Amino acid sequence: MQASPRAKRQPAWHMLASEFRDATLHEKGSGEFDPSFVITKLGAKVNRVVVAGLLERLEVRETANGSTLYQGQLRDPSGQHYFSVGDYASEAMRELTTTLTERIEVGEPELVLMIAKARWYQTEEGAIYTSLRPEEACIIDGKTYANWITRACQGTIDRMDAFSASLELEPTEQAYAASDSIPANLVEGLVTSRNHYGEIDLEQYKLNIMQALDIAEGKMSSATTPVPTLNVSPADEEGDVAEDSSEGSDLEECALSIIRQLDQGDGVDFEAVLSNANARGFSRQDSEAMLDELSEKGVIHEPRFGWFKIVE
Amino acid sequence: MSDGQFDSYIVAVQKECPDADSETIAAQFLKYQEDFKIPPQDSMRSIIRSLNSTKAVPSSRASSSSSTPRATKKVELLSELKSDDKEIEIEVEIISHNLREQTIRGEQKQIAFGLLEDNPWAENGNKNRWEYKDWAPSPNLAPGSIVRLEGVSVNEYNGKMSLNINQSSRVVVLREGTRTVVAPGEPQDIAALPSDGYVCVVGRVLSSREDQIHKKDGSGSIDIVRGRLADESGTIGFLSWEPFSHEVGALIKIDGAQVRTFRDTPELNFGRTTKVELFHDKNFADTDTLSKQTVLTISDLRDGSRDVDAVVQITEWAKRTFTKDGVEKYLWSGQIADPSGRCRMSAWEDLPIDENNLPITVKLKGVRVRAWQGIPDITVDNAGQVEILEKSPWEDGIDFSTQTIEVPLNELASGASRVGVSTEAIVVSVREDSGFIQRCTECRRVLRDGHCATHDANAGQSDIRMRLVMDDGLASMSLLINKEGSLALLAMTEDELSSEINSNGQLDFVQTLRSKMLGRNIRASGRTIVDEQGGMMLADSAELVEEDAEMKATEIRAQWGVN
Repeated sequence: MQASPRAKRQPAWHMLASEFRDATLHEKGSGEFDPSFVITKLGAKVNRVVVAGLLERLEVRETANGSTLYQGQLRDPSGQHYFSVGDYASEAMRELTTTLTERIEVGEPELVLMIAKARWYQTEEGAIYTSLRPEEACIIDGKTYANWITRACQGTIDRMDAFSASLELEPTEQAYAASDSIPANLVEGLVTSRNHYGEIDLEQYKLNIMQALDIAEGKMSSATTPVPTLNVSPADEEGDVAEDSSEGSDLEECALSIIRQLDQGDGVDFEAVLSNANARGFSRQDSEAMLDELSEKGVIHEPRFGWFKIVE
Repeated sequence: MSDGQFDSYIVAVQKECPDADSETIAAQFLKYQEDFKIPPQDSMRSIIRSLNSTKAVPSSRASSSSSTPRATKKVELLSELKSDDKEIEIEVEIISHNLREQTIRGEQKQIAFGLLEDNPWAENGNKNRWEYKDWAPSPNLAPGSIVRLEGVSVNEYNGKMSLNINQSSRVVVLREGTRTVVAPGEPQDIAALPSDGYVCVVGRVLSSREDQIHKKDGSGSIDIVRGRLADESGTIGFLSWEPFSHEVGALIKIDGAQVRTFRDTPELNFGRTTKVELFHDKNFADTDTLSKQTVLTISDLRDGSRDVDAVVQITEWAKRTFTKDGVEKYLWSGQIADPSGRCRMSAWEDLPIDENNLPITVKLKGVRVRAWQGIPDITVDNAGQVEILEKSPWEDGIDFSTQTIEVPLNELASGASRVGVSTEAIVVSVREDSGFIQRCTECRRVLRDGHCATHDANAGQSDIRMRLVMDDGLASMSLLINKEGSLALLAMTEDELSSEINSNGQLDFVQTLRSKMLGRNIRASGRTIVDEQGGMMLADSAELVEEDAEMKATEIRAQWGVN
């Protein structure tokens, strides 16, 4: 069991934000230089990704030790990626980040494609976060974006097919490796994923792909969805009492349904609730307040810090 | 076109930004949609932000409440463990088990230590080994047993993780120690042999000849026997340091042979402790059947291969003379090809080949392979190894010398070095030393800060190349494009390139390249060099592949069959 002297470069997955965001599983070999992976529900063992989308936010954060950290969000048709660029990044990457931050500040939209490493971390309380660390990135045009979308969709479809095929088989590497429907690069990841995530629902990924393909095909009107409820401003001046409470109950319903859907026995972590509620148009701040409210009401409880369950 | 389609969104935006007029907002939505392919539900937030950028509220969660009691952490793989995990439950196989006396707090105690392996029920699969220490040696731990450990903890020392089996831990035996170690006396298929270690093999002798190894220090030579063995799974060369008298065709069993890998080719070594005996098996494949396996195509050739048979087309053949130790010598060398690719061939004797009447097809027998810069070079030691064929096995008139073979990147990355190949993959990196480089005037290696690793400070010679990484989702490979290929890809002359870099700077130039290339499909042709650190393609041409996303999306949708 001798490790090879230098690990080969890990291949990059074309992946939509929804698949990466849903991942909570991490794997790393025991060796010092072994690569680490985030394993998605569809069985991709992700060390590196090619992602693209609209740069939605990019801000500089001062960290405790005085280093600079840029944090940003990249939105594709399925959701957002969170990424960060620190002092460790290459000069070119940092320079691009500065340029992009300026563009964002003046309200100049940019489509960005990045090759990024997957990051996974768990807080002391047990909440799991994933994010990206771009290695190289560039500003792209709509055409390149559309091409990226088709590749990401094709990749997701291939993984969904392999995932569906895996349901028919014993969740072992042997059984998967022997199957023609499961590509070799998904065998390990699928075994791990099946054992960790249990049942998963492909419906959301299918919707993401359909919408993403609409965009790539230029059918913008079919890719357009109804206006989401957007709670950007905390105080809604115009809203009357009735509307306020209805919004509140929307959020309440939304938060409860997220927890119900995502709970696999251990509850749902704080970040997952917030990012999912955010994807449905509720601000993180409101969602956080709602979690507190629901906890106080005794509708949900927190078996572990940062993990929420519905009181049965 | 935009008439009315964004109305509901404009209302929503105006609710957040009452001062913005609907024209401006509509124009924004249209811009996102047309230029960036971002539908309104996705661009809305950015538009609100840019109109009203003062209201960013950072969300934080500072409260830190209950600390939950640690429950048992049940894991399947060692890789799921963190350095401070306690009360772990895991099923493992015990690989080795040793006892030793240790003084702990002034007290002599016996402890056990060894290696364990996770994922014990998987036949092969991914297994990880960790060291363990058993502080109160359990009688249940024995090499080869599969056990469930309960209440063990992780110990991290100098970044290395191991498991502690504590006084309070429980060891449940799930399978007694009956590990089927590939024991001495258990023959393995030749194709499945490891690249090093001691093995047992049953095979037929395909070739055998006496040879000598001359010691480098001139202190003499050692008599050895070289040859080749085969079973139905494959063939392997052998080298016997002891007298070896079995004839070609003999079926033998070799126990305790050592596999050594020289260059890229594994070889069996028979030494003093190796047992070689005749073996009887009427059903074992005969010599004729087995020797068909030694016929290789050019794409199969590996550095260090011996006893290779092949049918190839010679496309170029020329005599080279050189002087060694004051004596003029000569050697023939040229290009050969078959449908799987191209490579070189050299011969130390005159062959009955008319270099003015090429291509011709020849059958090679028992030749060996060396590689230079990763490219296989077949060495013909004597004319008897070459037979000129009247008729080639391929269609008449095919000239392989200019062919380029399309090979998937992941196949190139895991195979041998090859010439005359092309592939298509996504650009995932543009290295910052793309552009002008200085090469050593002696060896053409790239200079670092004006220095060559072997020839020291150097004036250098200017050259142009691009260094990318391409990736097909399964494997990745470096892509080095030479001067002509780079300039053609950039659609620039050398002067234009030089003035662009001089006026905008190297970093800006590389970032421009990234904008053009990252995430795009590139098709490159040239040759590859593959070693244990990965593969690279040395390309003399490369082009970005134009793609029609709309058509591809429609195609994907049709194939997917979900509407």
